Amino acid sequence: MDENKIIELSSSEKPLLLDCGKSLGPIKIAYTTYGHLNKEKTNAILVCHALTGDQFVASQHPITKKEGWWSNVVGPNKPIDTNKFYVICPNIIGGCMGSTGPKEIDPLTQKEYGLNFPVITISDMVKAQKLLIDHLSIKKLFCVTGGSMGGMLVLEWLSKFPEYVHSAIPIATSVNHSAQNIALNELARQSIMADPNWKSGNYYGTDSQPTKGLSVARMAAHISYLSKESLHQKFGRNLQDKSELDYSFNADFQIESYLRHQGITFVDRFDANSYLYITRAMDYFDITANSNGSLIEAFKKTKSKVLCISFTSDWLYPTSENKKIVKTLNALGIDVSFLEIETENGHDSFLLNEPEFFDALDGFISSTWSEI
Amino acid sequence: MSLINKTKEFEIISNIITPNSSIIDIGCNDGSLIEYLKSNKNVNARGMEIDQSKVRTCLAKGISVVEGDADTDLFDYPDDLFDYSILTYTLQATKNPKIVLEQLVRIAQKAIVSFPNFGHWSIATSLFFNREMPVNSKLDYSWYETPNLHFCTINDFINLCDGLNIKIEKKADLRKLKFEEFKGKSLYDSYFSDSGLFLISKK
Repeated sequence: MDENKIIELSSSEKPLLLDCGKSLGPIKIAYTTYGHLNKEKTNAILVCHALTGDQFVASQHPITKKEGWWSNVVGPNKPIDTNKFYVICPNIIGGCMGSTGPKEIDPLTQKEYGLNFPVITISDMVKAQKLLIDHLSIKKLFCVTGGSMGGMLVLEWLSKFPEYVHSAIPIATSVNHSAQNIALNELARQSIMADPNWKSGNYYGTDSQPTKGLSVARMAAHISYLSKESLHQKFGRNLQDKSELDYSFNADFQIESYLRHQGITFVDRFDANSYLYITRAMDYFDITANSNGSLIEAFKKTKSKVLCISFTSDWLYPTSENKKIVKTLNALGIDVSFLEIETENGHDSFLLNEPEFFDALDGFISSTWSEI
Repeated sequence: MSLINKTKEFEIISNIITPNSSIIDIGCNDGSLIEYLKSNKNVNARGMEIDQSKVRTCLAKGISVVEGDADTDLFDYPDDLFDYSILTYTLQATKNPKIVLEQLVRIAQKAIVSFPNFGHWSIATSLFFNREMPVNSKLDYSWYETPNLHFCTINDFINLCDGLNIKIEKKADLRKLKFEEFKGKSLYDSYFSDSGLFLISKK
């Protein structure tokens, strides 16, 4: 892989116009690439990460030292084969791994943006990604893919820049957030804002970080990524390193210990303000926002070949939500395929070892590539 | 007796399809009919298949396919989206063949439907002489494990279409391997044709 790169796009003179009416510029995009762009520039695949993902899709994470979040999908001879394809994975704007976001320095004030960062949308994130693709002089992406929030970005690409997308694979996603989705995000935001160390977002450079609030936010979200069955199978009512109940509020159960661990390790790599901004963007997401609520209108310019994938035990972005996309694309006569992977791993399935999922990705990508 | 095999059925279906038309094959299995029609008639094809491993096989072949169920997922398609909808040897396995037939002619200009003829002499013989449910190459399941829910005879099918405002345009002559004008019930077909293969449309 090429190293993590950070590039400045747009400028204070020619800023990125945001949906909220404000503008942002210059903006930085941190991104990684893998493989080689061919001479015709037809083999680029854009991978869009999820809420807490980042550009380290298939390379070691600089903070956690863990392997990339999709290293079982992206790499040599993997479904997204870096021997064949040029893979681009940018950190979204609003994120906290190098792209412009609340923890970065505002060029105007020379201080961290904090809550002065404008409220951004999924559409704004895609507009920023488009600047990167233009910078790389790519006129058509062979494929745009991503799961969860990454899937929302894929849908936005299909709707906003249809001529730039040859094929697309939105995974475990939705055309908008349900009340339940918004409720879960609000729970996360409130737990961050309830942390006294959050200080209205002005915690940068201080010793006291809103780690407790962010940690609880992550714990709550993590439950929504798993299914009841997978929690039961992994943890059941097993006790953590003990044979009897403590009669206390210690982490008696394994599931408690697991969630606490998820929360604690998350704060090392994620910024609390970024979490607020990104969850807000997801809540605001509605692909029909500019088409009077019509899904047909939203996708009417789409010409891409599309594969939608959902997972049976995903209750966060269930099959019924993914099928709305399929139904719309079908009605428009768009070349759309769909499958629902049977698994007990819940929403997180798209990040886990799901051989049938990999097989479907591989089949679709290889056959679509052979048609070019 | 006119035993029709898969390749011959593909050939008969292909012969009646206008080149470059759009089709949906419901219960498309591993996509072999779609492949056949793509190479012979250059069709713009979609598939629907309930078995996920077969969906993945289709994807790997570059076939656009939706994992779905004829009983519930045909409602998702708008009227007349396709030139042809195709349902081969699946009607008898649907929960509600009547609704499926109505959907077939709604989403496409014409529908091609095939099914095993329960009126075939060998089936009648099996029932009459052996007093056993028939098991043969076309109906290769025992009664206790068959996915087939609604068996019908060719005459039953014709009666249902009449009642549903569905026009039977053509029926396949399985001996001559081609479609011909439908001229009403035929004694020969009802006894000696092991399958029915029809071209139907909205009245």
